[in-house]
Amino acid sequence: MAFTLYSLLQAALLIVNAIAVLHEERFLRHVGWGSDQGIGGFGEEPGIKAQLTNLIRSVRTVMRAAISARHFQSILPSRTDSV
Amino acid sequence: MELERHRERGGGGGAGAAGPDPTPPKTPSGLTSPLPAAPKRRVPAAAPRMADPHPLFDDTSAAGGGGGGGGGAQPGRGYGGPPPVSSPYPPPASFLREPVSSLAVVYGSSLASQGRDIVDRNLDRFIPVGRLKYYFAVDTVYVGRKLGLLVFPFVHQDWQVRYQQDAPVAPRFDVNAPDLYIPVMAFITYILIAGLALGTQNRFSPDSLGLQASSALAWLIVEVLAVLLSLYLVTVNTDLTTIDLIAFAGYKYVGMIIGLVFGLLFGRTGYYVVLSWCCLSIFVFMIRTLRLKLLSEAAAEGVLVRGAKNQLRMYLTMAIAAAQPLFMYWLTYHLLRAGAGTGTGRVRGVAVLGAGGGGGIRGGPRVPPTQLGGGGPRAQGVLEQWGAKAPGCWSWAGG
Repeated sequence: MAFTLYSLLQAALLIVNAIAVLHEERFLRHVGWGSDQGIGGFGEEPGIKAQLTNLIRSVRTVMRAAISARHFQSILPSRTDSV
Repeated sequence: MELERHRERGGGGGAGAAGPDPTPPKTPSGLTSPLPAAPKRRVPAAAPRMADPHPLFDDTSAAGGGGGGGGGAQPGRGYGGPPPVSSPYPPPASFLREPVSSLAVVYGSSLASQGRDIVDRNLDRFIPVGRLKYYFAVDTVYVGRKLGLLVFPFVHQDWQVRYQQDAPVAPRFDVNAPDLYIPVMAFITYILIAGLALGTQNRFSPDSLGLQASSALAWLIVEVLAVLLSLYLVTVNTDLTTIDLIAFAGYKYVGMIIGLVFGLLFGRTGYYVVLSWCCLSIFVFMIRTLRLKLLSEAAAEGVLVRGAKNQLRMYLTMAIAAAQPLFMYWLTYHLLRAGAGTGTGRVRGVAVLGAGGGGGIRGGPRVPPTQLGGGGPRAQGVLEQWGAKAPGCWSWAGG
């Protein structure tokens, strides 16, 4: 199976992009994964849902700028490849 | 005058020694360093013009470019060669005072060592080199016992890693400690045996080796990342580092190698029997090793501890351990797909290997026996293999 490192990189980029486009207000609130919806106290260990919510929020915060640059980098070569 | 010339030659020699520097080092005063070889040539021409020992500030009349333009004009010249005597720039020999050039040399060398320090420090931040040495501190006895443990973990009783003053003991002294030597060696051996297996089916080509290697590496990275993600989500407080996870993920290559070897020797039945044995043993090995690291103390000793948290951790351990046989099967079955099952197939494969792995057509049917004929079609086959690289590659991979 031709699962190269480059395709892994592309898949990772797409997945991170998918996580980053989950809009906070329009979507996550309705599902119940908004970042201000009861993460839980400090005494408790956060459950999986809280961890996932945190993860989504941090991916969105960190990756905004990096993803756009990376998109440019991977779309342009693939367009010239197909020609 | 003579003294000046001598000093300039000495300065030119000093700057010439620092000559191989491709870029002129930036001196703090904004002056670039003088060109290394040029000043020597220009000394005789410029010497008559210099009447005073400090031409840096006084030698502007000869150029007509002005004192302020002297320092600014210097960078513009680059390595265009020595300007003629009648150039509008002030002669660079006027800047070639010994303190300045030696300062430039010292500054340049300090920049180089600073650069090296920065690289070392940053490399240490990404790849903990000191920690890596711990994982390669193995000896033959350890390797032998660990391999035996990977194949037959059912009898081993004590799986706890021994600690020595809050740091785990090196693998040399404790057979339970994870190491990186076995995974790295097993990975490389797996790639070589994959090449061997492909060669016996006339599916070999040099780039397929690289493809196998990168594919296996990519799956390894995917697995380690998945385990890291799940450890983060379940908020397990464990001392498992990323390198530990890489080591554990690499242990399955030992089972894969054994399965592949037996598959090549004894056909598909041998492959399945040995692979299932290795899958079972790696499953037990992973469960027993991870149980101590992931679960709480009470649960690790076998006492049934209720509670959602412990249950989740147990599921996580089982999932990680169950992923290993899946990967083992996934990464090896396609190497034995065309089936080195029959005796004739094996003999044919060996003969083809001897002939240098001729022109196997990728993605196509198995090579008919007639192609074993000679060296003529072999050379042609190699050429058409290389020529048909791009589409052939994908069709093979899709198969």
